[in-house]
Amino acid sequence: MIKFKGVLGRRALLSGIAATAMLVMGGAAIAQDISGELAILQWQGGVDAEMWKKLEADFVAQHPGVSVRELTITAQGDARGGIRTAILGGEKVDIIINTWPAFRKELADAGILRGLDDQWAGLGLESTLSQSWRDLGVSDGVSYGVPYTYGDRSGIWYKTSQLKDAGVEVPKTWEDFIAAIKTLKAAGYDTPIPMPGKYWAHGEWFESLLLRTGGVEAAAKLAAHEIPWTDEVVKTALRKYAEMLEAGCCGTPEQMFAGDWDLSADQIFKADAGNFLLLGMWVNARAKGDYGLTEGVDYSLFQFPALGMGHDDTSSVDAKELLVTANGENPEAADAFLTYIVSPEATKILAEYGYASPSSNADTSLLGPVQQQATAAVAASKVQFVLGDLLPGDLVDEYRVQLQKFLQDPSDANIDAVTAAIEAKAAESY
Amino acid sequence: MSMSAADAAARSSQVSSPVGGGRRKPVAVRRRRLGETPAAWLLIIPVLILFSITVIYPLVETIRLSFFDIKGLGKPKFIGTGNYIKLFTDPAFRNTLWTTLVFTLGTTTITVSLGWFLAMLCSFAPQRTLPFRVMIFAAFGISEAVSGYMWISMLRPDQAGLLNSVIGLFSPGFAHPWLGDPNTALWMIIVAASWSGVGLPLMLCFAAVQAIPKTVLEAAYMDGAKPFAIMRFIMVPLSMPGVRVAIFINLLGALRAFDIIYVLTGGGPVRSTETVGYFMYRESMTQFKLGYGAAATVILLVAVMVISIPAIIQRTAGAK
Repeated sequence: MIKFKGVLGRRALLSGIAATAMLVMGGAAIAQDISGELAILQWQGGVDAEMWKKLEADFVAQHPGVSVRELTITAQGDARGGIRTAILGGEKVDIIINTWPAFRKELADAGILRGLDDQWAGLGLESTLSQSWRDLGVSDGVSYGVPYTYGDRSGIWYKTSQLKDAGVEVPKTWEDFIAAIKTLKAAGYDTPIPMPGKYWAHGEWFESLLLRTGGVEAAAKLAAHEIPWTDEVVKTALRKYAEMLEAGCCGTPEQMFAGDWDLSADQIFKADAGNFLLLGMWVNARAKGDYGLTEGVDYSLFQFPALGMGHDDTSSVDAKELLVTANGENPEAADAFLTYIVSPEATKILAEYGYASPSSNADTSLLGPVQQQATAAVAASKVQFVLGDLLPGDLVDEYRVQLQKFLQDPSDANIDAVTAAIEAKAAESY
Repeated sequence: MSMSAADAAARSSQVSSPVGGGRRKPVAVRRRRLGETPAAWLLIIPVLILFSITVIYPLVETIRLSFFDIKGLGKPKFIGTGNYIKLFTDPAFRNTLWTTLVFTLGTTTITVSLGWFLAMLCSFAPQRTLPFRVMIFAAFGISEAVSGYMWISMLRPDQAGLLNSVIGLFSPGFAHPWLGDPNTALWMIIVAASWSGVGLPLMLCFAAVQAIPKTVLEAAYMDGAKPFAIMRFIMVPLSMPGVRVAIFINLLGALRAFDIIYVLTGGGPVRSTETVGYFMYRESMTQFKLGYGAAATVILLVAVMVISIPAIIQRTAGAK
């Protein structure tokens, strides 16, 4: 009896130990045992696409049971149409890379996204992303987006040798900036700002000017259509834009409409035919990868000049985030990827390509000097998401076309006409 | 006149056949034949299924969508003819109608007249001009997107662009942003589209000229006709069937043009090169207003049918 009891006791003890071990190790074991295919909807090209391949390879190296399938959307400019088509066409992916807050809401409203509030802490995001970054990925009170990189959109890129040779100091104020344009023109540069007016990049100047004239509050209200486009703050920003055009910054409207930002970058960094480019941090990757320039030595960036209107501590920013889908076939792998993207390994790869990460795991010393400068500028600013990415699709199209009309004729009368036209479209878009 | 009347009478007698009921008889025969040959139905069913899936269903679905207000991935809302009413009050759409007309007439005129002219020249030495014809036709085989990128580099706004550098030989320092200027962008697109399109009219017109019976040309020569007269009274009139087909195909292609515009200008600057085809893409794919885009598609479809149905009827009338 005792023996029987003893045998039973030993079995019970072993079972107990095994059960306890499973309970203790269970979570980790499940996390490590993820397998199957992870489908990621990818729409970036060039060096960004190359970076994604590297991130995916590193993730697979950490999780050998997982294979990654990229569903690649080829897009010129706005990739949302391609993403919608893929989704409506029945493509099932686990992760969508997104950069448009308005699109996140559209996907969430359509029931395509999986909310992350319940898992946020469990995935280790609580400790790696601050509340303000979490807030950036929220739509209608639900956390959907996990931001993995962000960029300064109020930084103006330049080639150091050009300014040095022309005897131009990095402009700090608007007056300095206008004076620099005139000096550079006198030095033989016909278009100190080769304005990329073909598609959307001409809006960047308006958006930073709007922030510096009306602050983040006005920009946020405009994005939500809580103030009309005919508001004085919009007109003031456009009048400042007109000052730049009147200083002869950008050549004729025809020259501005002839190319997109890549042609403008070529003009500055390759052909030495222009000087300033206001654009996102992907210029960094292009300057290093495509032009073979050395960051901080051959080229650099300065923050948008101060207008002295009480809002010079503002910056426009963009961010890219990961969204997980509700119908993805491998939610475990998708969750693991969310944890991975804010890990030290992933942030190191991002830094190699010149991208800052909002993760607390990111080592900012790995970033190049220009990226560090931009990161510091954003950290010291009141930030507002890029206006163009916050507007409804049909309005943003009209907004960009009307800005082209403004570039054709920056007079006060036309500013009234242009703002009235955008407002008319906005009235039907919200 | 009397001959024509006689001809008409003869044709009439052939059609109406002798004894009354002649018109009914063939129908009855046809009915009996179909009834007698279920195999015919079996053979035609796959075609009918394929036709329904690839033509009828998309057509019906497009028309159905055009009656809905669809924004992004949101739920469709039935609005009846709302999209059509909005289309015709939308200045952007009205502008695309004019742009489409200019683009269609421009490309059709250039490609067909140039193709026809080259075909006439080539027909005088068919063997020796073979490599030349192959080269021109090869451009027709190049994707418009690819040729678009080639034209972008030729039309660069700076002096590095081929067109600017050629003009720069005569006017040093010349640089014009051909695609950035709303006054020249559409014409440049017409030139680019015509470049790749000229091969087809050339081949069609050349084939029409080659189909002229040798005896007709020999008879004219024997009658003492000079080369110009042969060209004017024989080759030109008898090449017209090829010209008609070329016009028809070019009109349809130009009406639906999208690729070359997408690559070269994206519909800009300031929507100056936005055709109905591009408008349809912008509304449906960029803004994802599927209902509105579908309404524009139906309008385009009607335009295509207005052109194609009379042409098809005319081409089919003589078929045996």
